[in-house]
Amino acid sequence: MKDLALLAIDTAKAQGASYADVRVVESKLENIGTKNGKVGAYETLEDLGFGVRVIAGGSWGFASSDDMSKESVETIAAEAVKTALASSKLKEKELVLAPVDAHVAQWRTSYKIDPFTVSLEDKLSLLFKVDGLLRKVKGLAIAECSMGFLREKQLFASTEGSLIEQELVHSGAGMVAFAVGAGDVQRRSFPSSEGHYASGGYEIVEGLGLIENAERVAEEAVALLSVDECPSGKKDIILDGSQLCLQIHESVGHPSELDRVLGTEANYAGTSYLKLKEQGKLQLGSEFVTIVADSTLPGGLATVGFDDEGVPAQKWNLVDKGLFVGYLTSREVASVCGDTQSRGCMRADGWNRIPLVRMTNIGLAPGTWDLDDLIADTKDGILMLTNRSWSIDQMRYNFQFSTEIGWEIKGGKKGRMLKNPNYQEISTGFWNSCDAVCNESHWFQWGIINCGKGQPGQVARMSHGAAPARFRQVNVGVAK
Amino acid sequence: MEKDRAESILKKALGFSKADEMEAFIGGGTYSLTRFANNVIHQNVNEQRYQLSVRSVYGKKTGRAVTNKFSDADIESVVRTSEAVARAQQEIPELLPVPEAQDYVEVDAFDTETASFSPDARAEAVKSAVDLCKKNGLEAAGYFSSGFGSLGPYGEVAPLAVANSRGLFAYHCGTEASFSITSIGENSSGWGEASSWRVSDIDVAKVASNAVEKAKLSSNPKPIEPGKYSVILEPAAVAELLSYMAWVGFGALQVQEGRSFMSGKIGQQVFGPGIHIYDHVYHDLLRGRPFDFEGMAVKKVPIAEKGILKGPVHDRATAAKEGGRSTGHGLPVPNTLGPQSASVVLEVEDGVPFEKLMSSIERGILVTRFWYVNVVDPMKVILTGMTRDGTFLVENGKVTTGIRNFRFNESVVGLLNKVEAMSVPVRSGVCVVPGVVAREFNFSSATEF
Repeated sequence: MKDLALLAIDTAKAQGASYADVRVVESKLENIGTKNGKVGAYETLEDLGFGVRVIAGGSWGFASSDDMSKESVETIAAEAVKTALASSKLKEKELVLAPVDAHVAQWRTSYKIDPFTVSLEDKLSLLFKVDGLLRKVKGLAIAECSMGFLREKQLFASTEGSLIEQELVHSGAGMVAFAVGAGDVQRRSFPSSEGHYASGGYEIVEGLGLIENAERVAEEAVALLSVDECPSGKKDIILDGSQLCLQIHESVGHPSELDRVLGTEANYAGTSYLKLKEQGKLQLGSEFVTIVADSTLPGGLATVGFDDEGVPAQKWNLVDKGLFVGYLTSREVASVCGDTQSRGCMRADGWNRIPLVRMTNIGLAPGTWDLDDLIADTKDGILMLTNRSWSIDQMRYNFQFSTEIGWEIKGGKKGRMLKNPNYQEISTGFWNSCDAVCNESHWFQWGIINCGKGQPGQVARMSHGAAPARFRQVNVGVAK
Repeated sequence: MEKDRAESILKKALGFSKADEMEAFIGGGTYSLTRFANNVIHQNVNEQRYQLSVRSVYGKKTGRAVTNKFSDADIESVVRTSEAVARAQQEIPELLPVPEAQDYVEVDAFDTETASFSPDARAEAVKSAVDLCKKNGLEAAGYFSSGFGSLGPYGEVAPLAVANSRGLFAYHCGTEASFSITSIGENSSGWGEASSWRVSDIDVAKVASNAVEKAKLSSNPKPIEPGKYSVILEPAAVAELLSYMAWVGFGALQVQEGRSFMSGKIGQQVFGPGIHIYDHVYHDLLRGRPFDFEGMAVKKVPIAEKGILKGPVHDRATAAKEGGRSTGHGLPVPNTLGPQSASVVLEVEDGVPFEKLMSSIERGILVTRFWYVNVVDPMKVILTGMTRDGTFLVENGKVTTGIRNFRFNESVVGLLNKVEAMSVPVRSGVCVVPGVVAREFNFSSATEF
């Protein structure tokens, strides 16, 4: 593989590229699903290919193929240069990349149990056990359980002398229980709405507590059919970590991507309210809001040794005590926000996609509260758990989220269960209304495995650490 | 991949099979995309790839394995993996045998110019659109894509060819091109998109000039109060709503499980009498694949006629439960989702030109497109989302000003009962839909731009 990689960049150079990198990516994937006591879905996939990214004529070009022959590598490298030269017909300035040291390195996810060595029988046995516990609950209509594993071997080489080998391993599982009533469908899931995924091996699945939580999850789904709707009005809300995961993702993570700030997603994913002039000036949140980007964090789905431009993994603040201070960057855009080097956020969805600025692991730093104390301190509020629906405008101001379940809080006590909880606000006002974040003992890294961006579309994975937090006087019950 | 090569690979895979039954499909193709923003091309990509997906069956056990490697050894290996997986699986009592050979509608959807449309040709087209924006003091962002085969916009791999051990063989290779542009002013934007199986159908100048016009018209947008307004929804906005409705409600498994707005209501008047919705892959503007993941022939399916629900789309499993026949909307077996509608067509009896739709509006809102739509309540098909890239106040039949964008929370079922006029349907994405005038559309909150 190394020979083919080096051939690709040598060919690109010979064809006139001023810079070239190549990524050879070999993936293995296994997805298992059960539904109501039967095998619902199963797929195992092996995939190998390479992508060549070049600068020629001062513009980007990219081509990729799954044909690993020498001839194909030469053809594709030449195609990338040809494409770059076509791009250069419409450019305003030469591309300049922030410097990066040449790295010759190897990096791999640490894990205890290789998920691909665990037998299918054992995996199905666990899923069917959970399925049985879910369906034991009277009134439950549908039980769905799932498990998924990914191994991705990457080889990165560039004309600047980097040669990096990485092996990423992700594992996860989850369950969803559906209850169906007259004109109503309610769902509860665990650990979060898409299950839980992290960097690591089968030990992640074993540690989720699927069996311990199955009956409760099913009971809550059934109970939701007969409880009251979330009321409308202004309420204090406490969001659990899994809902905050998506809240961070949509209203801070995406807006911090410097490429979209600069307009490159304007036709699709959108732009951002975090304009360049806001860096170091905008009070995005309250003093309790510190948001940290960290691609070194063990267990994170975006945890790597190096990004897809060969930039080492890093940790830095996006928001410091409410002040917006930092962006997610690449070598191309780093200098625009005053950085001398990239933050290492470039990732591609496989060998056939060009790297984009993607969120790394982004977490809300833990605060000082215990959850019980926070509930006791809330006079009139709603505790909302587990995301059900999400939507945000293209500049990331106006969002609306629904959760699977809510619990009314009156006079500091958790009271009746509520269905269809939802809330809507403007991002900056919302984060500034945060007056309490729970402590480290409640903090957990929630995984996202389906973050979409780019044209052609790309899916990326990342984690968002969060502990429950309270937000004052938020619009709730808005979907009416 | 040519038909002969696809057939040869599939036959080879079938030849390696030791299972009771086997089915396999090849998917993939070539996809190229030129992306521009800030008036320059900033991404220009090309991919070519294929996958072989093999499903083996032992009795009522089945297992699937997928590879993108096509040497004889790799093909044999993926067959063996699927067999090993099948043996290790638990039985699915309702598992059906693989289908027999089918007859297919021939769909002419391959255009050689589109298949070989070059990066230079895309760059030239993009340049003409960008120049128009620059001339008007605007910035341009968008893409021009072209290619052939069965790769989806997120790289999803649908079947190009399907074969099984009972002699079924299906092949379809179409071309596809798409152009989209957002024209961006200081505080406004305008958007347009066109897609076709034939790149020469795409009128880049027309799409770009519409986007430019919208950006200019919506400059200095005024904030107005959210609330219930009459709306004129452009076809792209209608397509977005109907696509979500199809996703959460047009599949037979969703109906059988009681999770669809159609559950228990088939045969009932659910929409206004002017609403005729079909899943129609053969529509002249779509020309899609005439078979599903199992190789079943796709039928034109009436979802609703004169507002009365006719029924969902089926795969073989859901059809078998009702003693009917598949409509050719199956996903890879097994799956938890059930059949999916993919080609929504809203037919209109007396559609008017879109420009005439707003003439009767005393006060209403013109929506170019919706963004980040999501499901709030699947049973009522209540969706939320935002307006984007050209939202206007219409007064006395004319656009009077651009306005700031709104969030909506609206039931699509309800909307289709409040339709007052529709225009001639056009293609938008993978739908063919009209522009729609409807009353009392619920804009629930506003945003900052």
